[in-house]
Amino acid sequence: MRALTYQGPFKVRVENKPDPRLEHPQDVILKVTRTAICGSDLHLLHGLVPDTRVGHTFGHEFTGVVEELGSEVTQLRKGDRVVVPFNISCGTCFYCQRGLTASCENSNPSSDVACGVYGYSHTTGGYDGGQAEYVRVPFADVGPLKIPDGMEDEEALFLGDILPTGYMGAEMGEIKGGETVVVFGAGPVGLFAMRSAWLMGAGRVIAVDCVQYRLDFAERYAKVETVNFREVDDIVLYLKDLFDGRGPDVCIDAVGMEAEGSVGQRVLGLGLKLEAGAPTVLTWCIDTVRKGGNVSIVGVYGPPWNLMPIGTAMNKGLTLRMNQCNVRRYMTHLLQHIREGRIDAKGIITHRFSLEDAPKAYHLFAQKQDGCVKCVLTPGHA
Amino acid sequence: MPDRPIPGAAADLEPSSRPGVPMERAPQPMAGARMPIRPQHSDVRVFKHKGRAGFPPVFGTAQPPRGLSGLLRKVAYGYPDHWARHWMILLLADRVDVWEHRLARAAPWAVPTAGVLALTGVAWRKWARA
Repeated sequence: MRALTYQGPFKVRVENKPDPRLEHPQDVILKVTRTAICGSDLHLLHGLVPDTRVGHTFGHEFTGVVEELGSEVTQLRKGDRVVVPFNISCGTCFYCQRGLTASCENSNPSSDVACGVYGYSHTTGGYDGGQAEYVRVPFADVGPLKIPDGMEDEEALFLGDILPTGYMGAEMGEIKGGETVVVFGAGPVGLFAMRSAWLMGAGRVIAVDCVQYRLDFAERYAKVETVNFREVDDIVLYLKDLFDGRGPDVCIDAVGMEAEGSVGQRVLGLGLKLEAGAPTVLTWCIDTVRKGGNVSIVGVYGPPWNLMPIGTAMNKGLTLRMNQCNVRRYMTHLLQHIREGRIDAKGIITHRFSLEDAPKAYHLFAQKQDGCVKCVLTPGHA
Repeated sequence: MPDRPIPGAAADLEPSSRPGVPMERAPQPMAGARMPIRPQHSDVRVFKHKGRAGFPPVFGTAQPPRGLSGLLRKVAYGYPDHWARHWMILLLADRVDVWEHRLARAAPWAVPTAGVLALTGVAWRKWARA
């Protein structure tokens, strides 16, 4: 089959590799119909995630058609169209039973920091991802959600990661109605966090980024106020001043480990690898939010450590909530929001490429060129 | 700011209407889940970090470890994942992996080219002495 493969930092290509095969009775093989490039794929591309092996196929956002079924699969049939959560979750372990599917203990031998994830290095289990013509999907009766008839694949595609992740980001902010919410990062997850904050009754939502076209997009798509942090002297003071000198009730970090905004953090984390990326936004969240407020972290950070002001968080009495998204428990609810017109998930797609052009798409997305917000790839057979 | 900035604003105002509230719920198997889970069999070498008690029933088998990078990964997985050296050795192994692949890719033309250059050099020296 044709598949995107990692060749080393900043280099991917599309090449032939063997088709995936059923390796467990609860597996299915999916013929991929749509797959997206996620912001967190860029951390892999940039060589920041340990145990990313040459030849690895990225891609944890995809839809597909069931092509082949394992002997124990009972809920799916050949030809079913499905969208797949990025977490590989068994549905039966201590964590899955409690709804914490991102912490499943039955899918990743390599690390306790996360469960198995498609196409996200061997640190998350060593599963090839969906930026390919075919993909192996374990625990197929638990994770995949059938796409309803009449619904396009692209409308459902983001139920597998970024839409639930953005929603969970807002949810962890514990919005009860009328709160002021600042979302750092106007990328796809940030946009969905903004929309979700409105759904939960936020009183005021502000987006912060340094890429002006993304802020303009956020104004149109999520109806939020925007701040370009490069155009203010001190983003923390600016945001505090907006809210009577105290700061907002909730800050959401939808950026993660490759944040702009601090040369020192970028040199330490991205250049010298002395910490796991640049936690600039996390620091801003802690410094900006009001005392007793909530910081919600859905931007991705990796092991082993980061320089962050935990003392400030402690003394301000903050609630810090964070997790990889427990995607499966959100899918049905958010599917309903899409169908009833409350979330236009497809509306964030700005670029479509064939799978063969995936390296070009990565370059465009990583360099934030041509107004790119979200890239979707289509394999040749789809 | 308008009262209803987006369609459906405040539709999920009630926390109990949100799928992730409470974050940890009363334990019950998820829909479609099957127990017990049969263990996956594989001939491919897969590492387990030392802090983990047993092997999970399902795992990925993509890109088995090999070469010097594979040896480094074996060393890394000998440490639990809360040890920094586990991650630092893996990052080193990743860079070694890239160079191994570059060398392997270059070998079909680099080895003959080096041979031709060496022979040419020997011939040149002999000719110059004569």
